[in-house]
Amino acid sequence: MKKFDVIIIGSGVVGSSIAYHLSEYKEHEILLIDKDFPLSGTSGSTQAWVWVHTKVPSWYGELSLYSAELYPILEKKIGDVEYNRTGGIAPFFNEAEREKAYRLAEKQAEVGIDIKVLTKDEVLEMEPYLSSKIAGATFSKLDGTVNPFRLVELYVKAARKNGVKTSYYNRVLDIVKSGNGYQVKTERGTFLTTKLILAGGPWSKDLGELLGVHIPIKQVRGQIIITEPLQPFLKYTIGGIRQTVNGEVLIGYSKEEVGYDRRTTLDVIQQTAKMAIDFIPALAEANIVRTFAGIRVMPLDELPILGQIPGLPGAFIAAMHSGITLSPIVGTLMAELLTEGETSLDITRYSLSRF
Amino acid sequence: MKTDVLVVGAGPAGIKAALTADRAGADVILIDESVFLGGQLRSQTQYFSNLPKNIDSGLGIEIYNELENQLNNSNITVFTNHTMVGSFKNGNIGVSNGEKVLEIQSKKNILAPGAQEEALIFPGWTLPGVMTAGAAQILVNREFVRPGNEAIMVGSNIFALEVALLLQQCGVSVKAIIEEQLNIQCKDTSKLGEIGNIPIFTSSRIKAARGRGKVEQVIIETPNGENELYVDLICVANGFRPILEPFEILNCEFTYKKGLGGWIPKYDNRFLTGNPNCYVAGNAAGITDLGPILLTGEIAAWNALGEIGLVSSIVVDKKIKNLWVELSRLEDEYVFKERLNLINNTSAIKY
Amino acid sequence: MDKSTIVCRCEEINIDEIETAIKYGAETFDDIKRLTRCGMGPCQSKNCIGPVNEIIANNTGKQLKDLPLTRMRIPVKPIKMKVLVTDIENSSIASVLAESVDEDGDNR
Repeated sequence: MKKFDVIIIGSGVVGSSIAYHLSEYKEHEILLIDKDFPLSGTSGSTQAWVWVHTKVPSWYGELSLYSAELYPILEKKIGDVEYNRTGGIAPFFNEAEREKAYRLAEKQAEVGIDIKVLTKDEVLEMEPYLSSKIAGATFSKLDGTVNPFRLVELYVKAARKNGVKTSYYNRVLDIVKSGNGYQVKTERGTFLTTKLILAGGPWSKDLGELLGVHIPIKQVRGQIIITEPLQPFLKYTIGGIRQTVNGEVLIGYSKEEVGYDRRTTLDVIQQTAKMAIDFIPALAEANIVRTFAGIRVMPLDELPILGQIPGLPGAFIAAMHSGITLSPIVGTLMAELLTEGETSLDITRYSLSRF
Repeated sequence: MKTDVLVVGAGPAGIKAALTADRAGADVILIDESVFLGGQLRSQTQYFSNLPKNIDSGLGIEIYNELENQLNNSNITVFTNHTMVGSFKNGNIGVSNGEKVLEIQSKKNILAPGAQEEALIFPGWTLPGVMTAGAAQILVNREFVRPGNEAIMVGSNIFALEVALLLQQCGVSVKAIIEEQLNIQCKDTSKLGEIGNIPIFTSSRIKAARGRGKVEQVIIETPNGENELYVDLICVANGFRPILEPFEILNCEFTYKKGLGGWIPKYDNRFLTGNPNCYVAGNAAGITDLGPILLTGEIAAWNALGEIGLVSSIVVDKKIKNLWVELSRLEDEYVFKERLNLINNTSAIKY
Repeated sequence: MDKSTIVCRCEEINIDEIETAIKYGAETFDDIKRLTRCGMGPCQSKNCIGPVNEIIANNTGKQLKDLPLTRMRIPVKPIKMKVLVTDIENSSIASVLAESVDEDGDNR
């Protein structure tokens, strides 16, 4: 039976990042398993914002901030993932929300997240295509976007270069505690490992069940519209809308609990198109070429679940919404935890034991 | 907007389904994305004889004219220039004419989107002057445009030969027919006779097409070496593939049947798909000939009528039985075998 | 065939790029699509799915019947945003800011 030091289940953005960061230590024999192929799940069906400024509570905003700060360094190591710190605008449509915006700015300032609350004129000067019906917006320079396809591809390439083995189209059938490690039974054979990381995204709950552990996450569908490529006209990432490097505009912020169903429906797509035009009236004339849906990984309290699984030595979990934003910091922290037994940032708040 | 039956696609299968449902007293809406009805049939000038017993033999366009005539004398609501956009959560279908989206609530849907021609890639295939045989046929017969002056045809199935003949008739010099396989694919010997002096190269393929901004030259590889021909039109008849988008949007399941054109929606002997409100008809249910296409439309419609309750199940069963017998008589043996094969394995559909 | 031959004309993806994705481990059209953008253009893979699946079959020894379909989604054909909206009056999609701060201005 082939033996590894670490097996990571799930090669989405979180699992692939952990594999890469762990492989940088060059101390572990690592196997990265996925039941499908990288990008076939949640990591490949996202607008891929690296989004910080509206993330609350502020200590969670802080984690997002640290992650965003790691992106420029990450790009130097694994290659161009098209990280673009555009700055982020979250518009509001009535004056009553301005008060909330100030409170958000105040809270986030405590952890070093700089938010400006803009007047309508200020927003329109920055982003002239936004609707004149908006009342204002919060703005932060810290937000941006990344190309999720390049990001995951390059995490995997860099990990492989460091010796990580990958096994795709290989479903994990069972996990059994064995001595001071685990036996991972898969469609393509059984592997032994000392340490095990569950990074199954929306399937984390199923993986937890194999170990007899309840992972409290929900699957939340988000439907997104893609337009034809348009001339670059949006400078910033707007809450709900971004323009990609090749000109397509991605729009969507819907939430539905419908299990793992990735179809799109005309009801929500019409609502989303309406939102697009409310935000940016000029989009009325744009052609829509595609819609898609992604299944968000949503822990019950919406905050990441990170670290050791209580009661199961050697078993770890990393399950979270906003995996694109958080992957650099989560990869870094999990690699520290597995290699050194402790992390440079306190992650006890994110422990599974809080539920 | 409410109706008993919504038919998507007004090719021969869709029209036949709509007419069948209309005659039994159902409210029917028939939509097509084109401003023309009839799909490819109205552009077909070849002669069809292997048809259901209530339809006279004739040129494609004549058969279409008869169907159009019947449509005009029906109560069917026809929406041309309306494309299916998608489906709502409640299963209703959204269609659009480019100005707004209409929600149609139907008791049963019959989807007959037809087939599309399979692309063939070779260096230079994206140059203007390379087109499918079907596109060339539409240009000549519907738009009255001659697509080129000197042409080659890639493929030797019956459709390829028919279009090659059509091109010759309207003054295009067809310099060669290229077939990748060992043998000519068309089994109709009379068609081969009509081809006359057009050279046919078997075991041959296009190496490249060249030209400045459009096709000017094609290089073909034959068992006897390379051949350079000066042409401005390359017609590709690389077979057909069922159009599947509407079925996936409506959550139907798919299966692969080589003899039916590859991936197709799963359906049972009633032509009911994995979605209990959606029937399939025509080439989308498997690539076949005009006669069987018309029959599938009728079978789907009778079953929909029975389910809605407009026709008793005894009548439906009798109609369906007769139509299946006729289908077995008209359809190519291998295609029919594949169809039976599919239906016999469809108990797995989950409703 | 010349490896620089275009397969996806919408996104100008050639045979070489598709074979590179297969070497990386891609086994299906959608795997290749996400790595290369093949099939992401206006035609939404209606033209290139057949040729790409043949390239996969030739490179992996798999049969065409074992190669899954690409995912097909709304809209069936490109449609203008304002046409899609038709007479929807209010969008029910939440805003990012409204979600971030609850009535008390605290954490959710």
